[in-house]
Amino acid sequence: MAVIVRIPTPLRSLTGGNEEVNVEEAATVADVINSLEAKHAGMKDRLLDEKGVRKFINIYVGEEDIRFLEGLRTPVKDGEQISIVPAIAGGA
Amino acid sequence: MGMIPREEATVAIVGVGGLGAPAALALAHAGIGRLLLVDDDEVDRSNLHRQILFRDCDVGRSKLEATVDGLARRRVKTRVETRTGRLSPGHSELVAGADVIVECSDNFATKFLAADVARLAGKPIVHGAAIRWIGTAFAVGPEGGPCYRCLFEDIPAGAQAGCDIAGVVGPVCGIIGAMQAQLALEVLDGKAPFGTLVSLDGLRDDLRVRRIRGRTGCALCGTTRTIDAIDAARYQASSSSED
Repeated sequence: MAVIVRIPTPLRSLTGGNEEVNVEEAATVADVINSLEAKHAGMKDRLLDEKGVRKFINIYVGEEDIRFLEGLRTPVKDGEQISIVPAIAGGA
Repeated sequence: MGMIPREEATVAIVGVGGLGAPAALALAHAGIGRLLLVDDDEVDRSNLHRQILFRDCDVGRSKLEATVDGLARRRVKTRVETRTGRLSPGHSELVAGADVIVECSDNFATKFLAADVARLAGKPIVHGAAIRWIGTAFAVGPEGGPCYRCLFEDIPAGAQAGCDIAGVVGPVCGIIGAMQAQLALEVLDGKAPFGTLVSLDGLRDDLRVRRIRGRTGCALCGTTRTIDAIDAARYQASSSSED
């Protein structure tokens, strides 16, 4: 089972500039993040803290925020798109 | 909210940089009666590619003064008032006098302060942000649910890269600032899509719209909310880089 993770610009320094990362063999969002960490060290720390998903990070499965699904235990389907949306501060 | 005639409307713009400049321009040309502008910065040469109201000769001037002049050159009828300084808890009169707030700041402390001030005053607010190739716009109704804290719960710890360090692409600012103006006009027309997060990825030419839900545990608008007054100390946890 493979999913596509869309990487936001602020995190692309960890993926060598890649906008998307394909993750194989993931059943849940937690699996996806562990696979991301295995491929791109440092990603997990940018997404999670000891309580779960960092407060200024939103993770979507399809168009739905995982906070309103099952959090990190949210199941993912083959071909599904995972989006990471961080808070951004720029604007001036 | 009912419809508010544009010529009778007051819009407060927090920050007149990369987002605030196109937003102010669009709102003035749309016939908004009064703009209240808040900013503490001066025009730098590196701003000029995206802060489209400014000219070479404005470098070193107050952004507020340069914005007033820039709008005057377009002969708009909008009355423009300014407040020098960052948005602060002391700006309650500004918020109280606005029909909608357009938040175009470049740091999390101000974004969260603006969100909290707007919610406590019962004012709609349109948030915007842009960095590198990405940008977001988010309209929040006077009752919240969802609000900025439903989306991003609290100020990120530690310094965050701003436009001066990370850079920002001028057209991304133009698109997001114009979109904020459009959302503000929709608010005044009583047609705002509150709770809709618009995300632009300029590198992919991808504009995505997501419906955001209110969180029952939100500190600002949830059922067990804990923020019922502005405490200045709450907004000093983060000191991001500034333009």
